[in-house]
Amino acid sequence: MSVHEQFAEDLSLYALEALGSEERRVLEEHLQGCAECRDELELMRGDLGLLGLSASGAEPPARSRQRLLDAVAQEPRGARLVRSGRKSGWWQVLEWAAGAAAVVVMLLLVRENTSLQRRIAGLEADSEAQQAQLAQAKELMASLTSADAEHFILVAGKTPPQPQGKALYVRGSGMLVFLAGNMPPLPPERIYELWLIPSTGAPIPAGLFKPGPGGDATVVKPALPAGVEAKAFAITVEPEGGSAAPTSAPIMAGARS
Amino acid sequence: MIVAAIRAGDEQGMAQLYERYSGVVYSVALRVLGDTGAAEDVLQDVFMQIWRSPAAFDANRGTLAGWLAVIARHRAIDALRKRRPEVDIADVVVSCEPDLVRGAEWSRALGKIRGALASMPALQRSALDMAFFEGLTHSEISEKTGEPLGTIKTRIRAGLLALRKALKA
Repeated sequence: MSVHEQFAEDLSLYALEALGSEERRVLEEHLQGCAECRDELELMRGDLGLLGLSASGAEPPARSRQRLLDAVAQEPRGARLVRSGRKSGWWQVLEWAAGAAAVVVMLLLVRENTSLQRRIAGLEADSEAQQAQLAQAKELMASLTSADAEHFILVAGKTPPQPQGKALYVRGSGMLVFLAGNMPPLPPERIYELWLIPSTGAPIPAGLFKPGPGGDATVVKPALPAGVEAKAFAITVEPEGGSAAPTSAPIMAGARS
Repeated sequence: MIVAAIRAGDEQGMAQLYERYSGVVYSVALRVLGDTGAAEDVLQDVFMQIWRSPAAFDANRGTLAGWLAVIARHRAIDALRKRRPEVDIADVVVSCEPDLVRGAEWSRALGKIRGALASMPALQRSALDMAFFEGLTHSEISEKTGEPLGTIKTRIRAGLLALRKALKA
């Protein structure tokens, strides 16, 4: 027997289950690749068997035999197969309950899924409608405020062009669009300021503007408080930067038509 | 063959196994534990493991007698130390010839083994006893006897080889 000498003594300790964990790890690693040492280990265990057999002579008490055979009878071979194939009533009840619960959960999930899909479809439809409205509003706003927009003011015959303004105001939302035409040029460092004249109280600043070369101007959605009832709109000439309250008499004003 | 019958689920196979090998298993367990009740429990435990996992014993790799003696020792040491079984019986391959348990041949073989043990130096026999029947590690034996670890290792191995040689003589 050609055994690796460095492992020879450890093999007997290993057979006795007496090797320390690190030595055991090293030896087991070696045993995996060394048939000679594996054979020697089996022989060493055989030697241990001889040592064990040397203790022979005692006989167990008579009752021990029946005890074993009773235990064997209570654990027939294939018992595990029988148990897994024919389960007790409780297990069957549990299985049925688990199966039924799974079906209920599945149905609830399907229902929830359907409901969610409907909601998603509704939201998608709403979203599409809003997108369309938004696109329309953007287009309208772009048209109104475009530099390319051509303004036509219709007046009675032989009347010279007059400065004029048109305010579209939605009180509930405080939304205002103001269009002006034929506005006279401003002196330096001056600006036109639009005012919302409420039914009660002081005028509220409604935006600043300087007319273009043709005298046209727009004020779109200035910051205004919602819900203010407008009696009229007016325009003053203010210092550049605007004023919190009119500093001059209105050059133009108009009540609700 | 007994093991084949047990593998087939034949309860009579277990009865035969008991008739033939219960003495070996019980003797080893009793020697380790020194208590008849505890030894009987180990006997039951070892035999029931065979009933549950008859494939654990590989007849091609050794004899049932030697294998049972080693398994009984391991289980008895586990019981002595009140620990869970540390060795899977299927991992224990024992090469031991012949299948000794009864009869004249067995008596002769047992005489050889006991003769070899008797003729061993006392310290060597004692080291084997402490390692096998008391379940002490070589470090524990070294501490107990005050002898170097290497000496204990050498004694154990030499003692086991002496038993092997005596049986072949």
